[in-house]
Amino acid sequence: MNVLVTGGSASGKSLYAEQLACHLSPTRIYLATMSPEGHEAQRRIARHRAQRADGGFATIECNGTLPRCRFDGVVLLDDLGNLVAQALFAQDGAMADPSSVLDRLDREVAGLFGHADHVVVVGNEVGAEGRSLYAGTRTWVELMGSLACKTAARADAVVEVTAGIPCLLKGALPC
Amino acid sequence: MVVLILVIGGIASGKRSYVRSLGYGDHEMSGELGAPAPVLLDLDELLRAGALDSDSWQTLQRKQVICCCEVGQGVVPLDGNERAWRELVGRTCSRLATEASCVIRMVCGIPTVLKQTRSEGA
Repeated sequence: MNVLVTGGSASGKSLYAEQLACHLSPTRIYLATMSPEGHEAQRRIARHRAQRADGGFATIECNGTLPRCRFDGVVLLDDLGNLVAQALFAQDGAMADPSSVLDRLDREVAGLFGHADHVVVVGNEVGAEGRSLYAGTRTWVELMGSLACKTAARADAVVEVTAGIPCLLKGALPC
Repeated sequence: MVVLILVIGGIASGKRSYVRSLGYGDHEMSGELGAPAPVLLDLDELLRAGALDSDSWQTLQRKQVICCCEVGQGVVPLDGNERAWRELVGRTCSRLATEASCVIRMVCGIPTVLKQTRSEGA
């Protein structure tokens, strides 16, 4: 089954998504999306790695694009926000065409959903903070919102996590 | 009780697609308060532009659907104008929600019913 897990920052969505992935299959692949630049990113990566240490995940680094191979077991993609950011912004700060990035990532998510036994995608709820955003941030928020809507439409189940508590928005869950 | 559907949600959360699913065409939606369209889009932008005054409330009440971006989450902005705008959007949505027969919150294109009042005779 394919599940989208969404929620605000530090809402417990990654932990919930990992628990769900562990429940779905003993064969686990983790698609990492975070760019390891800066101390804060390093700390978050270390915390997420420690969190996953017991889960037996094989990690594949994604650099703004999703792998197209066949996966046995469960694939955990964490998260859409970093994936979109890496796809949208080049190292030199230049921005790619948002609509073509959206089309490509939507196709890649659809491909992933079709090529794995189970997929758990982590999304980010960041679109409810008003419009006083920098133009680039605004584009990222819009793109991520659109990709989340498309991913939710394809998913069998959608869960919003708040304060660590999962609230089912669509479908049914195995646990 | 006004027969009004209030649709809220973050940026690109699927508000407009949801209104289409209710049977409204794009030509029935407008971001201008004075337009004859039954669906009002982007209430938050109208409030930002200062396009509503004390006489606008009756115009709002005559709409069938009003869409508004949720803007009150995250950090309260340092800028006073931004704070005032968020406050105005939040208060306006709260007041509309009190009067609306139905309030929908969109997350990832999925509607959650926050309020549903049975219409008279139903």
